[in-house]
Formats: sequence, C-alpha cells, structure tokens
Amino acid sequence: MDVGFFAQFVINGLMLGMMYALVAVGFTLFFGVLDVIVFSHGDVVMVGGFTGLSMYFWLERMYPHLSPGPKLLCMALVSMTVIALLGAAVARSVILRLRAAPSLNTLLATMMLGTVLRESIRLFYPDGANPKPFPALLPKWSVEYSGLTLRLDNLILFCIGALLIVSVHLLINRTRLGLAIRAVAQDEETARIMGVNFTLIVLVTFAIGSAVAAFAGLMNGLYYNEINFSMGLLLGAIGFSAAVIGGLGNIYGAILGGFIFAFLQTIGAVALPFASAYKDVFAFAVIIALMAWRPTGLIAEKTSERV
Amino acid sequence: MFRPLLIENLHVAYGKAEVLFGVDMEIHPGRITCLLGANGSGKSTLIRAILGLTPPCGGSIVFDGLEISGLPPHKVVARGIACIPEGRKVFPKMTVEENLRMGAYQNASASRTRENMARVYEIFPRLKERRDQLAGTMSGGEQAMVSIGRGLMGSPRLLIIDEPSLGLSPALVSENFRIIRRINEAGTAVFLVEQNVRQTLSIAHYGYVLSQGKLLAGGTPNELSNDAEVRRAYFG
Repeated sequence: MDVGFFAQFVINGLMLGMMYALVAVGFTLFFGVLDVIVFSHGDVVMVGGFTGLSMYFWLERMYPHLSPGPKLLCMALVSMTVIALLGAAVARSVILRLRAAPSLNTLLATMMLGTVLRESIRLFYPDGANPKPFPALLPKWSVEYSGLTLRLDNLILFCIGALLIVSVHLLINRTRLGLAIRAVAQDEETARIMGVNFTLIVLVTFAIGSAVAAFAGLMNGLYYNEINFSMGLLLGAIGFSAAVIGGLGNIYGAILGGFIFAFLQTIGAVALPFASAYKDVFAFAVIIALMAWRPTGLIAEKTSERV
Repeated sequence: MFRPLLIENLHVAYGKAEVLFGVDMEIHPGRITCLLGANGSGKSTLIRAILGLTPPCGGSIVFDGLEISGLPPHKVVARGIACIPEGRKVFPKMTVEENLRMGAYQNASASRTRENMARVYEIFPRLKERRDQLAGTMSGGEQAMVSIGRGLMGSPRLLIIDEPSLGLSPALVSENFRIIRRINEAGTAVFLVEQNVRQTLSIAHYGYVLSQGKLLAGGTPNELSNDAEVRRAYFG
C-alpha cells in the first residue's frame, strides 16, 4: 500500500474521530452531572444539522449576496444556540422531572424523545424523508500529493472541532462555572450546601453538551455534503459507545473513544479482507470485546476524573 | 451581626414518616449554640431543613428577620449560612485549593476570596503545603481541615457544624474543638451538632437536647448537665 493512500485514510479517520468525539463529549458530560444516559443525544445532533440547513435557506432568501463565510458563521451560531436551548429544555422537562424515578425510566424516556425528534423532522420538514444535500460553504481549495488529497475545508472543520473541545475542557477546568459543574458531578448534595444552584448548573451543562452536538451535526453535513433525518441513530450509538469505552464521565475518555471508533471503522474499511460495508459491524464487534475486557472504560476508574 | 435565627414549631417529614414534631429553637449571634441528641433523634434533619435540602412541612425558620424555610439551599447560603457537613464531604477529585474555592462559590469579590484563603492557610498551614493535592488522597484529619476551611471561605454569619468529631482520633477531636472556639471568637456564630456531650458543653454558650424528634431540654451548659432528664439520657 502506498503512503499517500494510507495517509488519506488516516485523514478521513481523524475527521470522523473528531465528529464522534464531539458527540461523545455530550454523553459524558450528562452522565457526569446527573448519572443519566441521554439516548436522544444523537437525534439532537441531527436536529442541529437541520437547524443549520434551515438557517441557510432563510439566509439565501433574505441575504442572497452574503458570502459563504459569514453565512456559515451565522448558521453555526444560530444552530448551536437553538440546540443549546433544546438541550436545556429536554433537561428541564424530561430528565430533571424523572430524577426520582429509576434510571431505566430516563433511558426509556430519552429513547422515545429521540424517536419524536426523528419522526418530527421526517414528517414536518419539507420532504424530510429524503436525504437533503448540504451546501458546500467552505473553500474548496485542496492540494494533491502522490495520491493524497489535503482539503482545506476538512482542515478548517477539524480545527474548529478541536477548538470546541479545548474550550469545553478549559471551561470545565479553569472557570467558576466549571468548578460548579465538577462539584455537582462529584457530590451533588455537598455542591448544593456550598451554594451551587443545582438546577441551573444541570441546565447549563445540557446546553453546553447540546451546543457541541449541534456543531457535530453541521460538521456531518459539511463533510458528507448531505444530512438525513435518521443520521442521529448511528451517530448516537457511536457517540455513546465512544463515551463508554473511554470511561463514562471522563472527557478525555470520550475524545479517546471517538478516535478509537473512527480508527476501527477505517481499519474495517481498508485493512480487512471483506467489503467496506462491514466497517461498522467490525468496529462495534471490537467495541463489545473492549467492553468485556475493560468494563469501566479504557481510562481506569482510579485515575479517571468525572467531567 | 444578625438578628437571631428563630425556629418555630418546625415539622419535617420524609414522605409520610414525620421526623421532627414541632421544634422551637433560637440561635443567637456571637454564640456557640449546640444541639445534642442520639442517633436518629432528628439532628441531621433539622440541619437539612435549615439549609433547605429538605423543605419543612410546617412551622417557620426566620433568619435575620427573613423567612428562609422552603428556600432552595443556594438562597439560604446567600443569606450568610454555611455548613460543614457530617463526614467532611470534601470533593475528592478537586485539589485542596479548589475545595476552598467551592466554599467561596457565592463570593463575588476575588480579593475577598484571596483574603479568606490566606486566613484559612494561616489556621491550617498544612493545607497551604498541600494546596495542589487532590483532597480524596488525603488522610481523614487533613480532610477535616479542608472541610472546616471550606466552611469558613464564604465568611458566613452563621456556621453550622455537623458532627465534626465523627471518625477522628481523640487528639484530633480536641484540636477540632479548639478551632471551633477560635472561629467563634473571631465573631462567627456557630451551631454545633454533636454526640460528644462533655467536650461540646465545655465550649458551648447554650445548648438544646433533641430526642425522637422533640426538644427534650434547652439551657446553658450548666443547666443541661444538671437537668435530671438529660443526665438520665446522656450521663448515665
């Protein structure tokens, strides 16, 4: 196998890994503060993509001469804000209300909520049942080097994704808000005794995780040039697996898990003798084996730091 | 200074199980007020009610002239009440300094937080040496220092201390009581909840005895140690 061909797969893997990591960070944040698995998170990613697309059409109509850069910035800001509010609303109306119930109920309720979101897009978005082409708004500039294509749009997406994850990390570890989020994650009651407004911190955490997911949805559209109403199902399963193999509640674990999953998919697609259609089968099978080997995640419980 | 904390006819229940049956109590500024009682007498429930963790189902709690019963904890803390919880409850995966910062969570001013931190480091020089250590990796005695220091960080007007001697060696218990007295002498009112009767009465200005959700007695340490009923219950 020549180097260029190999490098191409590494680059694709890194792009997917970043997307998965962005989704996994949400799962791990929510589990950190409330010990809940929010199954609707994948569909929230999808709604993020569709919100961005709707914003694009609106901008096309209202400001047809706007150049792609500001247009994309506008889409990202609106989508992330709307989805942050959606995340906070989900926390307020479903997850906090079910606090007294067994955690299985939360699992079930969020699964159903995911279906509601998915079906709403399919039924109410114009022609929502079909895949929607996503506009290529990033510069198409690229260089080719012995079979390897380096695309500027991918580089930009990767850098923004990395920037988002670093921002979340700094927010959690360097700010007063992050201190409160960590306090709630480690000991909810003591955090409240210290004067932390528990409900507010939960809502803010859900807003942050969901805003990051909204960007993952946009990134998905820009990377594949297409979004569809059911993309959240697989993205949710992948993001959840990534968070679990990294060690739920641990941000570094979620990032590691995201890249591991993308790496496995890439291996499944190139290095193994069977057709690339089996890449997900291969990746999930390895994840199951990893979970059996390390039930509490790859980053050992002892050193793992929640949120 | 503040007007006394007045608890009147306080009823608290967990679901249908009533735990406190009409408790009346006063906590005055400048004093150490203690609450004695056996396990299960309702001491922790009373603290939870004051802090707003378990809203009472009847009666009132007035602090500095304002009704606080039914307020969520963050609003109670905003009025100047802090608590050193039972079992120390340090945040295990935060450093000592981050734990102290949590105690000053509602402090708007960074300079005040710095001042208070300097004061805590002065009381517990050991914490200054260990400021970057994760609290969960410290010994029980050191965690007690973190917990007490954290309680002082918000410069509370009233500091509630729940069972500070639980699980500590006798030497550390005495040290703890010395520190509590020192905190009080610096002007902070203390509400001390304890099972260690003799040492508690030796530093308290006023005390109450709780038994099975009802107030058994209230008085100065002298009166309490001479009260026949209290003697029977505690001194054997």
